[in-house]
Amino acid sequence: METNTRRIAILMVLPLVVLFVALTIFPFLFMIGASFTRYNLSEWRAPEFIGLKNYIKIFQDDGVKSSVTFTILLVVIALPIEMILGGFIALFIQNLVGERIVRSALLLPMMVPAVVAGVMWKMLFNFEYGPVNYLLSLFGVQKLSWLGDIGYSRLAIIIMDIWQWTPFIFLILYAGLQTIPQDFIEAAKVDGANRWQILRNVELPMLQSLVSITLILRLIDILKLFDTIYMTTFGGPGYATHSFSFYIYKVSLSFGWDVGYGSALSLVLLAVITILTNILINRLRLWEILEV
Amino acid sequence: MKKLLCSVVILSIIFSVGLLPTVGSAQQVTLNVWASPDNADALSDISQRFMQKYPNIKVQLTPISWEVLYPRLLADIASGTGAFDVATWDVMTAGAMSKGFLDLESFKKQNPDLVDPNWDPKDFDPTIWHIAGMWGDKNIGIPFYCNTMLFYYRKDLFNDVKLKTKFKAMTGKTLTVPKTWEDAIDVAKFFTKKYNPDSPTDYGIALMFPRTHTLFYMYLLFFAPYRRSAEGMKKFGALDLDYGDYFTGDKKPAFNSPEGVKALEIMKALMPYSPDPLGSDYGETLEYFARGSVAMVPQWTGVWATFKTSEALQPIDKKVGVAVMPSGRSVSGNWALGINASSKNKKEAFLFIQFATNKENDKTKFIKFGVAPSRLSTVKDPEVRKADPRVDAFLKTIQTQSHRPRIPQEPKLEDVTVGFFSEILLGKRPNTVEELNKLADEWMKILQE
Repeated sequence: METNTRRIAILMVLPLVVLFVALTIFPFLFMIGASFTRYNLSEWRAPEFIGLKNYIKIFQDDGVKSSVTFTILLVVIALPIEMILGGFIALFIQNLVGERIVRSALLLPMMVPAVVAGVMWKMLFNFEYGPVNYLLSLFGVQKLSWLGDIGYSRLAIIIMDIWQWTPFIFLILYAGLQTIPQDFIEAAKVDGANRWQILRNVELPMLQSLVSITLILRLIDILKLFDTIYMTTFGGPGYATHSFSFYIYKVSLSFGWDVGYGSALSLVLLAVITILTNILINRLRLWEILEV
Repeated sequence: MKKLLCSVVILSIIFSVGLLPTVGSAQQVTLNVWASPDNADALSDISQRFMQKYPNIKVQLTPISWEVLYPRLLADIASGTGAFDVATWDVMTAGAMSKGFLDLESFKKQNPDLVDPNWDPKDFDPTIWHIAGMWGDKNIGIPFYCNTMLFYYRKDLFNDVKLKTKFKAMTGKTLTVPKTWEDAIDVAKFFTKKYNPDSPTDYGIALMFPRTHTLFYMYLLFFAPYRRSAEGMKKFGALDLDYGDYFTGDKKPAFNSPEGVKALEIMKALMPYSPDPLGSDYGETLEYFARGSVAMVPQWTGVWATFKTSEALQPIDKKVGVAVMPSGRSVSGNWALGINASSKNKKEAFLFIQFATNKENDKTKFIKFGVAPSRLSTVKDPEVRKADPRVDAFLKTIQTQSHRPRIPQEPKLEDVTVGFFSEILLGKRPNTVEELNKLADEWMKILQE
């Protein structure tokens, strides 16, 4: 009876497992294999083993250099702003009049699909008719070429990312703040702690694990940024807003059809994300926090 | 054991029900047609009439954006899955697509009973037939949308007496529709408010130089006049239709030359008189002109439908004029209809593309949807000429237009070029022959790979 039950259970789960292997494991293994080959879909020939040539090419590719530069810029600028802003908002709206409404409204950007957000921002940043330039003109600022200037296009991508993902950080930290026992806050107040001291000595230590996890999740997402760039600047002007993910897309699917090289780039990105997240987990001693 | 048997029976029933429609409709053929948005409306209309004529053939049309269509087509023909039967392919993808599309000439010889005797293959311009139909000696498509760029301008402003007087006073020249790009610089400046506060428009010209394939073809508007001049033909050699105007006659880059530098100089000179050229693409420039913000715009033929309904451009016959491109060289942007070599419905697919490209439908799609005609008979038809004032300019343009490369390496060449040109226009790279030589070296690396 028990054997039968187990057999039926296995049969029931088997289609999903097969699907998972077919759609996840197999493509991943294929990608690893392809990264060691010369395999270009526009060349109409079978993949040819070339060893590490694709990986060596990465270090000689100017496109990689510019995409890495922009990706680092995103991490260094967008991520801290999102963390600080999300945390600040989470703290600020506590006990605010209309807190629930404000909370729901703040989540809206996160719920908008990235493609829709890209189209929307492209309209907002329109040089001639966009509301952003119109609002700036009220302060005497000349029209800015948001999508046609190196500096402004990068700023535009950063603004879009902050707009869309600060709510995510807000949501997590807000939920975290709700779980802090009020007794601790009351006790601190009784001891004469001011708001800043309560934040620094009570709330932040208790939110440490959530902050760490949020930081790691956002870091991974920023390293994979693609959709807003695709919908707005398409990596331009020049190579100004090529993120690493966007460059992989260009190589693999857009102009290159170089599946082999694109696979190598993808694996490098995966390795970088894995290494960075492990470094962060170690630095933040996340396993200790989670064990506690 | 009983539970296992039940599971198997249930799964079998599910599979059987799923297969029923296929088994029951063995006589009905469904054609999967993938089309770019430019062609989708016209093809949809044609499909309705086709299905009335051939009730056993159902046409399932899927519009796919330009950026996604090419990779999807390439993925399907490379893998041979036959997910589509018919597709529209863009002219510069001919080389890459060639192996995956059916040779229509061979197919016709094998299936003479399917050939329409009234179809008239001689009714196509030979150059258009080559670039949108042939690769080597293989006929991989039939020209469907003979797109080209025309020069649209505000007729009312160019005819305005006060503006003519003012222009004469400012420049010493007569205000006319620019015949050269050098003329266009003066006119564009005149119609830009920043340089002429009395200008009726904010900007003189709407240009699109974004970091996409758009910049690749826009460059040819400025370079091709040099490439195809008498001096240019002597220097660069005869044009090879597969390699196009970016190349010399012996298949080397031609743009790394003083002429290539001059083309970029003119583009840079026009930029101050255009709203955000590096950040604007098709949609933006269309809007600038449709809203009356600019006096001139080089654009594709498909914009006419938008201009016809734009409030700021009414009445359109008084406000919008159409001319050949300044300096006389436009750029081709043809779409062809082809059959997937892996299609399981080749006969039905052939009937469809033959129907879609016959004389009647070529005329109908132009009048109804503004899809530029592929057939000479359409362009010469009095009814068509009456319906659309652009026909004369269109006919002159397709006979003199420049062409992008159609070779398989085109997408790579395009990407590295637009990145480079974009940086030159931004001022990040110098505009010199030496700098363009670096791009040419990249091209040679790609071609030799």
